[in-house]
Amino acid sequence: MKKLLSVVALGALMSSPALSADVKVGSVAGVTGPIAELVAPILAGRNLAADHVNAAGGLLDGNRLVMIQADSQCDAKAAVDAASKVVNVDRVVAIVGASCSGATSGMAQAVTIPAGIASVSDTSTAPSITDLDDNGRVFRTVPSDAYQGATLAQYAYDLGFRRLAVTYANDDYNAGFAAVFAATFPELGGTITASQAHEPAKPSYRAEVATLASAGDAEALALFAYYGGSGITIIRNSLEAGLFSRFLGGDAMVDQSVIDRIGADTLRGNIWLTQPISEEDSVSHMAFADAFAARGNDPQAPFAAHGYDATFVVALAIEKAGSTDSAAIAKALTQINDPDGEIINAGEWAKAKAAIAAGKAINYEGATGSVDFDANGDVPGSYGISTVGGKGTWQVAPIH
Amino acid sequence: MEQLYGYVLYGVTLASMGGIYALLALGLNIQWGFTGLFNTGIAGFLAVGAYTQALLTTPLSSRHIGGIELPIPLAMLCAMVLSAIVAYGVARACIRLRSDYLAIATLGIAEILRLIFKNELWATNGPRGVSQIPRAFEDLPPPWNAIAFMAMVLLIVLVVYLLMERARVSPWGRMMAAIRENEEAAAAIGKHVAHYRTESFVIGAAMMGLAGALLAQYLKQIDPQVSEPVTATFLVWVMLIAGGSANNRGAILGAFLIWTIWSATQILTGFLPNEFVAFGYTVGNLQVRSAYVRVFLIGLILQFILQRRPQGLLPEKRPAASRPSSAHTDRDSS
Repeated sequence: MKKLLSVVALGALMSSPALSADVKVGSVAGVTGPIAELVAPILAGRNLAADHVNAAGGLLDGNRLVMIQADSQCDAKAAVDAASKVVNVDRVVAIVGASCSGATSGMAQAVTIPAGIASVSDTSTAPSITDLDDNGRVFRTVPSDAYQGATLAQYAYDLGFRRLAVTYANDDYNAGFAAVFAATFPELGGTITASQAHEPAKPSYRAEVATLASAGDAEALALFAYYGGSGITIIRNSLEAGLFSRFLGGDAMVDQSVIDRIGADTLRGNIWLTQPISEEDSVSHMAFADAFAARGNDPQAPFAAHGYDATFVVALAIEKAGSTDSAAIAKALTQINDPDGEIINAGEWAKAKAAIAAGKAINYEGATGSVDFDANGDVPGSYGISTVGGKGTWQVAPIH
Repeated sequence: MEQLYGYVLYGVTLASMGGIYALLALGLNIQWGFTGLFNTGIAGFLAVGAYTQALLTTPLSSRHIGGIELPIPLAMLCAMVLSAIVAYGVARACIRLRSDYLAIATLGIAEILRLIFKNELWATNGPRGVSQIPRAFEDLPPPWNAIAFMAMVLLIVLVVYLLMERARVSPWGRMMAAIRENEEAAAAIGKHVAHYRTESFVIGAAMMGLAGALLAQYLKQIDPQVSEPVTATFLVWVMLIAGGSANNRGAILGAFLIWTIWSATQILTGFLPNEFVAFGYTVGNLQVRSAYVRVFLIGLILQFILQRRPQGLLPEKRPAASRPSSAHTDRDSS
C-alpha cells in the first residue's frame, strides 16, 4: 500500500502544472550500438529543430517543445523498451525515430501503432516499413530503397527500352533494389528477359553474361552491383563478348574508375545510373546548413538534415492539429504539404506559426527537399541520372 | 491518474520482457547452475526459437519463406522442438569439451547461427528481418491485449519454474549436481556423464527457444540484431549470476531485477541536462554519453556481485545435503 501511495505521489509530481506547459516528443535513436557514430549528428539535427521552434514562439500557446531522448541501440528489443518508456512514462505526443529499420519496425508494431502515436523516422530505409499495417501512424523523412528501383524502371521505359536483362550482386542493398526494379518494369509494359543473381568479387563473369544474353534479345543490361565488387568486370565481359553494349544501374555504380577503366567514348550515351540527390543549393538546405555549422556540426553528416526535418514536421503537425492529441497530430502530418500552401523553409517557425494561426494552408520545403508524405507515410525522394559527359566524367541531371 | 496509468502500462512491458529473460535465465540455470555447462551461445538458441516462431506464423510474404500461418501455441511448440534438435546436434559435437572449451565452441556456434539468419536472404530476408509476426491476444482491446500477453508469459515462467523445482529436488537434479561437482566421481558410480550433460543442454536450449518464440511475438519483428550477444547472451549471464546460480528463484529474481535496472535507468538518465559545467570544464553531449553509462552500470553490478557475493542474491539450496539423515530414513521407511 505504501508503495502504491508513493507511486501515486510520484505520478502527481510528474504531472504538476509547471511541467504541463511542455509538449514532450520522444527522440528515439540508436545512441549506443553499431551506428552510434552516425547518431550523434542526427540528434544534433533534431535538437536544432527543437531549438528553432522554441526560439520563435514555441508550440501552441508558447509551450516549450521538449525532446525526450531514449536509446534504441539499433535493436528491436531495445527500441520496444525505449519507446514503451517514452510513451507510457513520459506521455510523449509523438516520436521522432527510431534508427535502423529493424528497430523502427519493432517499435512501431509493438508500441506506437497500438498506442496510436505517430512516429517519424529519419534513418530507416527498408521497403518493408511501407507495408506495415500502421493506421496512418508511421512516417519517415528518408526515401525507401524501393523508390530508386521504381525510378530507374520508369526512366528506362521512358528512354524507350522494352526488353531488359537483369543481374544483381547478392547482397542486402542490391538484391532489394533489383527486386523492386524487376517488379516495376513489367508493370509499365516492359519485359524482363532474364534475371540472375551473381556473387560479387569473382575474377570473371563471362558465363553469367552469356547465360543472360542467351535468354532473349535484351536491348540492355540492368546491372545492380557495387562498381568495385562486380560492376566493372561485368561491363567489360559484356563488351568483350559483344553481348550487351548498353547498361542501366544505380548509385553503387557511380564512380570515376568505371569511366577510366572502360573508356569514356565506349560508355558515352550507353549508360544511365540513378542516384539520390539532395537539393543542396535550395534556400531551405542552406538555412539548415548555416545554423548547423554555426554550432560546430557538419551539415554533410549522413541523415542529420533528415533528423532536422523529422523533428520540424512533428512540430508543424502539433501546431496544425492545434492540440496534443496524438490522433490529431498523426492526421496533421499529412496536411503540412499542401501544394497550394504557403512555402515554409527550414528554420521559418515564426512564419509557419503565423500562417497556421491565420488558417492558411502550408507547404513545408525541408532541408532535404520537399517532405511530401504519401499515403504510406513515405517521401518520394529526389533522384538524378548520371551519364558520361563530354569531359569523361559523370554528369548528374535531376529527373523530372 | 493518466500518469499512473502510464506507469502501469510501462510496468506491463517491463514484466513481459522480464518474464522472457526469466525463461532464458531458467534455461541457463539448468545448463550452468545444475550441470555446470558453460554455454555462451544463448543468443543462438534464442534466434532459432524466434525465427521458427516468426516464419511459421507470419502471413505469406515475398520477402521470406513461410505463409504457413500456424496457430501460435503450435508454433511455440515447434520453436522449442527445433531449438532442442539444434542443441542436440551441437551437444553431439562438443558436449565432452571441458567448461572453458565448451564456452568457446558455443560462442562460435551462436555466431554461425546468427550469420546464417543474416545471409540466407531467400529464407529470412537477411538483415532486414521478418516483421508482422502475430502476437497472442493482440486482438483484445488495449490495454487488455498487453496484460493478457504478460499474464501468459508469467504463467509460462511459473510452470517452467515448478517443473524445474521438481527436477532440482528429484534424483535427476541431485545427479546433475554430482556431475557438476565431480565428473569423475559421478562416472565412477556408473552415471553416463556425457548422456546426462546432453540431456541438460537440450532441455535448457528448448527453454531458450521458447523464450525466443515469446520474444518474436512480443517485438512483432525479428532480425539478426536481436541475437546480438551483449543483450542476448551476456545480459542473461549477469542475471543468473546476480540472482544466484543453481537457484531457480534466484534466476527469476535476477532476470527481473537486472532487466528493470537496464530499462529503468533510462528514466533516470532522461533527467540529466544535456550540458553542465564543473570545475571550469564544460561537459557536453551528456544525453548521448549517459546511454553508455547504462552499459557500464551493468558491468559494474556484475563486478560488485562477483566480488562481494559470488553465490548471488539467493544462494543455492542443496536438497540432498540439507536434509538430516534421520528424516531421510524416516521417509524411506514410511
